[in-house]
Amino acid sequence: MSLPAAAARGSVRVFHLAGVEKVYGSGEAAVHALRGLDFDVMAGELLVLLGPSGSGKSTLLNILGGLDRPTAGRALFRDLDLGAADDAAITDYRRHHVGFVFQFYNLIASLTAEENVELVTEVADDPMPAAEALGLVGLGQRRGHFPSQLSGGEQQRVAIARAIAKRPTVLLCDEPTGALDVATGVRVLESLVDVNTRLGTTTLLITHNADIARIGDRVVRFADGRIRSIESNARRVAPRELHW
Amino acid sequence: MIRLAPLDHKLLRDLRRMWLQIVAVGTVLGCGIALFVMATGTYGSIQRSRDQYYAAERMADLAASVVRAPESVGAQLAALPGVDAVETRVSGIALVDLPGVSEPVSARVVSLPRGREARVNDIVLHTGRLPAPERDNEIVVNEAFAERNGLGPGDTLAAVLYGRRRTLEIVGVASSPEFVFAVAPGEITPEPQRFGVFWMGREGLARAYDLDGAFNDVAIRQARDAKPRELVAAVDRLLARHGGRGAYGRDRMISAQFLEDELRSLQTMASVLPPVFLAVAVFLVNVSLSRLIATERSNIGLLKSFGYSNLAVAAHYAKFSLAFAALGTVLGVAVGQVGGDYMASIYRSVYRLPDLQFDAGPLVYAGAIGVGIAAAVLGSARAVRRAIRLPPAAALAPPAPTRFGGLGERVERAARSLDAKSRMIVRRIVRFPRRSLSTVAGIAAAIALLVTSQHFPVAMNHIVDVNFGAAQRMDVTLAFADVHDASILRDVRRLPGVLAVEPMRSAPVILSAGTRSQRDSLLGIPAGARLNRVLDGEERPVPPRADGLTIARVLARKLDVQVGDRVRVQATDGRRRSLEIPVVAIVDPFVGAPAYLELDTLNRLLQEPERVTAAYLLVDARAREAFSREVKRLPAIAGVTYADNAENTLRRLFNEGSGFFAALFVVFSSMMAAGVAFSAARVTLAEQERDLATLRVLGFRRREASYVLLGEIGALLLAAIPLGIVLGYLLTRWLMSQFATELFSFPHVLSPAAYGQSVAFVAVAVVVAALFVRRGVDRLDMVGVLKSRD
Repeated sequence: MSLPAAAARGSVRVFHLAGVEKVYGSGEAAVHALRGLDFDVMAGELLVLLGPSGSGKSTLLNILGGLDRPTAGRALFRDLDLGAADDAAITDYRRHHVGFVFQFYNLIASLTAEENVELVTEVADDPMPAAEALGLVGLGQRRGHFPSQLSGGEQQRVAIARAIAKRPTVLLCDEPTGALDVATGVRVLESLVDVNTRLGTTTLLITHNADIARIGDRVVRFADGRIRSIESNARRVAPRELHW
Repeated sequence: MIRLAPLDHKLLRDLRRMWLQIVAVGTVLGCGIALFVMATGTYGSIQRSRDQYYAAERMADLAASVVRAPESVGAQLAALPGVDAVETRVSGIALVDLPGVSEPVSARVVSLPRGREARVNDIVLHTGRLPAPERDNEIVVNEAFAERNGLGPGDTLAAVLYGRRRTLEIVGVASSPEFVFAVAPGEITPEPQRFGVFWMGREGLARAYDLDGAFNDVAIRQARDAKPRELVAAVDRLLARHGGRGAYGRDRMISAQFLEDELRSLQTMASVLPPVFLAVAVFLVNVSLSRLIATERSNIGLLKSFGYSNLAVAAHYAKFSLAFAALGTVLGVAVGQVGGDYMASIYRSVYRLPDLQFDAGPLVYAGAIGVGIAAAVLGSARAVRRAIRLPPAAALAPPAPTRFGGLGERVERAARSLDAKSRMIVRRIVRFPRRSLSTVAGIAAAIALLVTSQHFPVAMNHIVDVNFGAAQRMDVTLAFADVHDASILRDVRRLPGVLAVEPMRSAPVILSAGTRSQRDSLLGIPAGARLNRVLDGEERPVPPRADGLTIARVLARKLDVQVGDRVRVQATDGRRRSLEIPVVAIVDPFVGAPAYLELDTLNRLLQEPERVTAAYLLVDARAREAFSREVKRLPAIAGVTYADNAENTLRRLFNEGSGFFAALFVVFSSMMAAGVAFSAARVTLAEQERDLATLRVLGFRRREASYVLLGEIGALLLAAIPLGIVLGYLLTRWLMSQFATELFSFPHVLSPAAYGQSVAFVAVAVVVAALFVRRGVDRLDMVGVLKSRD
């Protein structure tokens, strides 16, 4: 079954990358993590970044999320140059536009599920209520629980709720299912797809699992810091159809 | 080249990484050890030096003065059971006229036996020679007096001995165990410039005092098996009919008593202060190592999975704590040694103990090392045990998130009324109560120690201020050579510049109640005394009463008497009256005033009317020169003390000894505050790193993320301040009571400034340390932290 694409998908450019390079270290010890990336990310699409470890996909995601800066080239979020903007502007960018989901959840242990979400809604411009965000990931009943009282999958879904509650422009997910078993992983991916579909949030999802790539609109394959290919999926596969 | 084991490479690298933490903990530990080395070492050095000196020069165990006893009584004394040696002497007070010194100087003159060493209270000759027995104008002077006045063999000075003026020639400079701390009669501070000790040939001095074939002073060394109380009674019985004034032990010999008091203060210092620092150091080692082991979780798992034994893992982490111990011990011993040397130099200038060198001795150094290691072991035991207990599989798996549920309804209600960041702070503090409490306790201890250390100079200045401002308001104190007829006051009034004269009598007595007795001075103070007033602890004057005794609380406790009880008063001088007088008031006098009553009443009761032993004067400052010149001509006068000189001496004495110590104490306490603050902030940052990075990733600004870090430390600081104030108050009160001596009761002056400064200082130290650590928020590696497991 294919999922309907959002109406706006493909018409507005969110990210523009031109000759983006990232080099760690210098001289003989220099490591070229990214070697000249050129591509655009369009509003509302679910883009899967696929590649083996060390191929540069996380580096790219960090640059797009304002956690790191390119060494050369331009990475634009709309008109904001992510390589040149000052620290305050980048913080504001993360605050208002970016939702992150990490492999290791990174919930604040001293806050309940709901409070973890509220942490974001307190500072966002037009957030959705925390309860609604938790409802979207199917955790409405568990909102008073602390992270230590939740399973790994539940913790990851709280992390997704926290990421989407501010209604971010982009949702950046770095191996969100990496630490989870298959069934739980599927549940998490369903939440992500659901958010992308319902809210039209541009979503970038890193995985090294080729099967997961089938849930995206497009798949960007990485190898050795370069983009090896960009393919569009003829149809987006629902997570529950996946097997890995 | 030594090949290090891989684990030791890791150890060295980790130590390098943690160097700031190690310096912070090592410094606090070092402060404790330095205090320990200094106080214990100084105590030991002084005690050793004193004991050797007393033994070598045969310091008297008992002393007594008599009006006049024939020399044959000396043999009777020597025959008493429990007596080892007896030295009968002639002793008196001389008024001295030093060339170029206008102010009167007094000296105690003591005889030396002919042709042999003194059997008791011998002297150590530093330069020159002993006086020739037949020459009655040769003297040996004490070292401090000679030094301060630039005198030596060959110099001459004029002195009035027993009313006769004569020229004396100095032939030697000496010191004696009897005058380690040479204080003029009736004074409490040594003024070597104005008070000296002269030793003279026995015959010459006896002639000067009309005591040929007799003595008026005796020093006794008791045998090992002596029964002191019985011996005192026997001596008193023998001397009674010769005008004996009562034998007394070292506890009433002023020099020995001062030295003993000083040693007791040092002992208190050594037993009270280092443990506080060490306790805090133990806590800091614990915090640092716990944190290290928490971050080393996966490494511990790895090491164990490779086959490293529990012992090897434990040894690896124990070595960290030994690094703290090593730094603390080296620092402590070095600083303690330097401080000890300095303290010894101060003590040498105040107490004339020959060969006083700071030598802590192997035991103290071994103790310091032991204390350092013990602090490290105690501090690391729990953390190391945790490392051993961690099964490899559990250590390799990511730890479950810390449990924050079930913190109690009240905490939750309070937390929910706050914003999310404040909620994080509250829950962390409550979730880790032991850690929070120990941080609070550490900061509070620093505040308390600072309050206490600042209190020393406050208390001392207060003593001097009150003593010379409100209690003793005279310009000059005249001490008479003996009990004198009040007619002397007429001569005194005629001296130039004298504006007012107030008499005083001090009668040597034995006070007893039930089975308890105490040899002391009973003071007679005129009703309406204005120049010499006894003040109570609240600095209110307590005038003498005619209907009974007013006695000091210390004395009341010794005699176990209360207001209304009757005290037996046995005069040991003059007509030796024995009376019973009721106690009508008990006071906490500021500076030693054991027991007193109204002057005329005292004289009437003793059946010795119109007697005085001292006079307090107001003297016109413009006439000081003339007064000084004339007063020396009065033969009855044994000592002249100017209040301003005494005040300056007392202040100098305080500043040099306790002042140095107080300053050192302030520095140490400050370092401790900074160490605690830094460690607390550093650990909080390390533990919160992931949360702070998460906040930053979520778009929180630096100051918003910093709030979580600083908020926690700030909240703990706020909790620590009142606790520190209360602890400081209690510690100060307790310490002051421990330092109280027979001569000084250290007042507990509530000085808001001391509290304010202490709190402010510690708060600043905490804030600076926290801000220093806060820079870590700016440098957070968001990517690195978030992509790694906990």
